[in-house]
Amino acid sequence: MSAPFLTLLLPPLLAAAGALVLPPRWRGSWALHAALALVSLLAALRLASLVLDGWTPTWGPTDLFRVDALSALLAACVAFVAALAALLGPRLGGEQHYTPPQVRRFRVFAALFAFTMLVAVTANNVGVMWIAIEATTIASAVIVPLTVSKASVEASWKYILIGSVGIALAFVGTVLAYFDFVTLVGQRDYALNWTVLLANAPVLHQPVIELAFVFLLIGYGTKAGIAPMHTWLPDAHSEAPAALSAMMSGVLLAVALYAIVRWRAVVAAAVGPAFPSRLLVGLGLLSLGIAALSLVIQRQYKRLLAYSSIEHTGLMCVGLALGPLGVFATMLHLINHTLAKSMMFFLSGRILDRYGTPEIGRVSGLLRVMPLTAGLFATGMITLLGLPPFGMFLSKFTLLRAGFAGGQGWLMAAVLGFLAVAFVSLLGHLHRMLYGAAPAGVRQGESDCWAVLPLAVCVVALVVLGLIVPAPVTALLDRIVEIAGR
Amino acid sequence: MSPQLVSQLSVGGSTLVLLAGLMMLWRRGVNAHIGAFTAQSVALAATTAMVGWFTGDWQLWAVAVLLLLVKAVGIPILLKRMARRFGTERELEPYVNTATSLLLGGLLVLLAYVVTGPLVSVSQLPTRTGMPLAMGLVFVSLLVIISRKKALTQVLGFLMLENGIALLAVLGTHGIPIIVEIGVFLDVALGFMVMQVFVYQIHETFESIDVEQLNRLRE
Amino acid sequence: MSVWLLAPLQASVALLLAPGLIGAIRWMKARLQNRRGSPVWQPYLELRKLFAKEVVVSSNASWLFHAAPFIVFGSTVTVTLLVPLLAVPLPFAGAGDLLVVVYLLLLGTFFLALAGLDPGSPFGGMGASREMTVAALAEPTMALAIFALAWGAGSTDLGQIASRILTIPSEALAPGHVLAFAAIFLVTLAETGRLPVDNPGTHLELTMIHEAMVLEYSGRYLALIEWAASLKLLVFFTLLANLFVPWGVAAALTPGALLWSVLTLALKLLALGGAVAVVETHIAKLRLFRVPELLSASFILALLAVTASFLLR
Repeated sequence: MSAPFLTLLLPPLLAAAGALVLPPRWRGSWALHAALALVSLLAALRLASLVLDGWTPTWGPTDLFRVDALSALLAACVAFVAALAALLGPRLGGEQHYTPPQVRRFRVFAALFAFTMLVAVTANNVGVMWIAIEATTIASAVIVPLTVSKASVEASWKYILIGSVGIALAFVGTVLAYFDFVTLVGQRDYALNWTVLLANAPVLHQPVIELAFVFLLIGYGTKAGIAPMHTWLPDAHSEAPAALSAMMSGVLLAVALYAIVRWRAVVAAAVGPAFPSRLLVGLGLLSLGIAALSLVIQRQYKRLLAYSSIEHTGLMCVGLALGPLGVFATMLHLINHTLAKSMMFFLSGRILDRYGTPEIGRVSGLLRVMPLTAGLFATGMITLLGLPPFGMFLSKFTLLRAGFAGGQGWLMAAVLGFLAVAFVSLLGHLHRMLYGAAPAGVRQGESDCWAVLPLAVCVVALVVLGLIVPAPVTALLDRIVEIAGR
Repeated sequence: MSPQLVSQLSVGGSTLVLLAGLMMLWRRGVNAHIGAFTAQSVALAATTAMVGWFTGDWQLWAVAVLLLLVKAVGIPILLKRMARRFGTERELEPYVNTATSLLLGGLLVLLAYVVTGPLVSVSQLPTRTGMPLAMGLVFVSLLVIISRKKALTQVLGFLMLENGIALLAVLGTHGIPIIVEIGVFLDVALGFMVMQVFVYQIHETFESIDVEQLNRLRE
Repeated sequence: MSVWLLAPLQASVALLLAPGLIGAIRWMKARLQNRRGSPVWQPYLELRKLFAKEVVVSSNASWLFHAAPFIVFGSTVTVTLLVPLLAVPLPFAGAGDLLVVVYLLLLGTFFLALAGLDPGSPFGGMGASREMTVAALAEPTMALAIFALAWGAGSTDLGQIASRILTIPSEALAPGHVLAFAAIFLVTLAETGRLPVDNPGTHLELTMIHEAMVLEYSGRYLALIEWAASLKLLVFFTLLANLFVPWGVAAALTPGALLWSVLTLALKLLALGGAVAVVETHIAKLRLFRVPELLSASFILALLAVTASFLLR
């Protein structure tokens, strides 16, 4: 069963190798990179269809790689955003303002970044998953300071330091879980596989697993942007080149959340769902609150989007604690957030390119300057606010329903309150950017319209997910709830 | 090798590793820090080899040799090169002064002992007696990363954190599967390389490696 | 030989050896520094000279000034009765254990500090405050190191701690013991006024701690205080030697065993004195505000000793 895995994992590696050797300015190298990313995307979709048919493809000694519904969904998301980044990045506004060495560096490490994320979501072995997630930190940190400036150097230093420390703590949690397994069964090579951990979960010792989960949540939560370990996120996501920010905000947070979902399933099987739910609700609410309140005072639009990511991650954490329906809502929200946030970051890259400033106050009259971009930007922002007919409305609504059905009235009231604060501030910032007179010295008229086309695909997908969730998606989500929700 | 002897050697080895970590809180010069890290890696490799001898697992011997080569020889060489560039910048005024840091370090070791209580009571392995000290090193490394102002010291704190986790793994589980071990090594080595590049970048952009200067991004 | 004769024997052996220990350390330091140095029995000659000299007392001094040398000397001699100098079990085992020893020594320090303040000279006050800083930081370390040892032995009685190692030799290398040794060694350097905490040979205002407190003393008072200081060093060294490496200590009270224990004690004292001489030659004196750092480090060593003993109980 190696073909699907090879077609999924090999293209990004080949793309990285290709970008190293081929001249960056040549259009052929861009075409090769984009084509390989599309191959990866098709492979991910194929894996998803295999899973829907009832297979669980595995590959490698001791089943090193294994794709079930959760892995397939994440792999598809990762491959999609990676394909978008390959198609559109790093230059996004039509004007070439990255030097060829920078373009080459971006292509190589973006491809490696995609590779490590794909390995992380398809690995069956928790240790290999950890290694891949640590590798994502390294691969993405290299290209955060693509243009070296005081701000980007500061952002990249905070990112790699806090990220690596967080991941190290997650490794402590992994070691503790393995330690518990070893005391019961003895050393085994396959002991670090998800399937084995899940099967043996009921006999694991409670205090050890609880301690392990605390470390795991803090560790992977650092990568996911959960407060109070989120301090690196606004800096890194705003200073990175737009295509990288799209990948980081769109899918890296999702991959970290994937790790938390997996471990939550194991811990819930071991000690019951109450303990992980308490922790997730606490941290999720904290993230939601801090992000919502920070949105009000934001002055740069990329930081605004970054804080919105923290807000949505917090919401998804709360959702994970609300039982099977909550897990369904969280996964649906994950798909929607990936689509919407990556699109928004690509668009913000175009805006930055045209206006030359990251400040919200100096961006005005977007509708007049770049009508297509403005339209898509507004659509994306409305999606993030949670308004119909876009997908996020449905997922947020389902989440709230799950909360009220589970008797968590006060919690949902708090969530609604924070969402309302975020709603008002985002709408206000959007209004300021869209309307008004265009500043002097900014060229008017849309350029490079073809680059906007793939982003329109995102909007279409969001609308589809908002009006009718397609049957394959629902089936996939149902399977995920079976695996991960309890 | 009797279990009691293994217990004593585990505690002895872990104490040496933790003491080297506490040296980072006490001494101020970069060369002292690098020396402490080298000594810590050697102690860690020795403890791993001891556990390997006790269990008869040749893979642990391989890991010990790898530890020696990478962390006791390779990384200190790179660190010394960095020290020659930035070594004149000593930790003169960390966020928490030396005496307080040492006392906090002691408290953290006690906290680690409390936290690992359930672990020690659950395990049957004779090496479990050193686990609280390994966890103590994890906490002390976090204190070093938070309270020091020089980027180089923060990198060393991160490397010590990894040492602490490796010690915890070897004492608690007698070695994690070899493929994960190799992967972790590669990750740490690569992470260190990237951090090294970033420290040079910080120095070029800010003319110093003082982390306090990194304060332009607010809110 | 009766146990009760052991007490005065221990005290007299200690009193006789103490100045010789100081002389030996000075001689070794001199040789390490490429000097000839004064002979090993020089401190005895100094004591004899001081006893013959006239006592000059400041007009501001009170009864405390006259009483302090005797209190200091008396408490230190009492301590020599309580440490395992020559034999275990000790004659006063019921009356004093390790905590009593530590606090008797602290009593001496306390009165010495008061005596430094008494005549109202600025040097005395300065020395007293510095001494109290050092003592305040060294005290908890000593207490913790004691706990580490007591945990292993099951009691704070000195004789029992020493005999436990004699019965289980491998305990001597237990991590808790090694760390406690390191911690008590640093405390010894601090409490007895050796480098890097205090320079015993200096009279410079910036650098002296112990010398500042006794600056006003002369004649037989000074002799008593100097003798007490050397006794204190001997007591600390005895604790380091006979609690951690107790082989040679007499178990039976026969003349042969006692003679052997005197010889081994002298050897161990010389070894420790040599270590101190090497340390003093290599290290410069720490600036006063760095001393708390050194003592915090020794505190952490003691804390680790306690945890190590606890983990291996």
